[in-house]
Amino acid sequence: MTIVDETVLLERLLAGEQQAYRELIETYQGAMRAVAYAIVGSRQADEAVQDAWLAVVRNLSGFQRRSSLKTWLLTITANAAKNRYKQNRREVLLDDLPSPHGTIGDERFSGDGHWLLAPHAWHEDTPEALLSEDELRECLEHTMLSLPELQRGVLVLRERQGLELEEICNLLEISLSNVRVLLHRARLKVFATLEHFEETGQC
Amino acid sequence: MLTCKEQVERSSDYLDGQLSFRERLLVRHHLMFCPNCRRFIKQMRLMQATLRKMPESPVVDVDVDQLAAKLASRHRDNQ
Repeated sequence: MTIVDETVLLERLLAGEQQAYRELIETYQGAMRAVAYAIVGSRQADEAVQDAWLAVVRNLSGFQRRSSLKTWLLTITANAAKNRYKQNRREVLLDDLPSPHGTIGDERFSGDGHWLLAPHAWHEDTPEALLSEDELRECLEHTMLSLPELQRGVLVLRERQGLELEEICNLLEISLSNVRVLLHRARLKVFATLEHFEETGQC
Repeated sequence: MLTCKEQVERSSDYLDGQLSFRERLLVRHHLMFCPNCRRFIKQMRLMQATLRKMPESPVVDVDVDQLAAKLASRHRDNQ
């Protein structure tokens, strides 16, 4: 959304125009949910997003435009999610879980660090062609859901929502090195799923 | 020279621009000579582009019209 679009939308929001709220929700709900999911997990993510929307309405007239609307909304969402659970993170930060098709792990390399089983050519070479197969889409969703919540949250914020690593650190209050580790693990698992599908034609 | 395994370990940082100048050169140098790793990086990029284009799973249990109506009326009440 450009600055001009944002300014126009804000004016309509401040005027209380229902259609403007609809546009706001449709544009940002996905990113807000990804932030909430990364912080509180699937069980409370929707509640946290609801809390966030109410906080957005309460604070809208005080929005200073020092950041983009998106950054402001995501910061409010992160705060709402953190309020929902003040104490212990439910998972230890870097705990990992097995993924349906594994990862690109040590077993793919020989002792001297060369590929034992190198990546082979895939049938498709555009995202559109890959995503045209319903089964692959479902397979990717399945792998995403198998990721630990924080890992999935980081992956979604980076790849689907296009956030910078620093923004992700700030929103989730985790270090850059942890964001990098989580992102790398998540990507290798999704890679393994794509590779498996391209090799076998099934999930 | 990096090994293939070391290249894979650095691949996310390479794609995200998180490597130091020296490390980036090491990765580039490896890629220049290793078709397997070039393919790997190319496929990692394709994986990223695929995730970017993947339709978001629909938000369950949220009636956008209803929520929009609620937020708009809350805003008016706050005035």
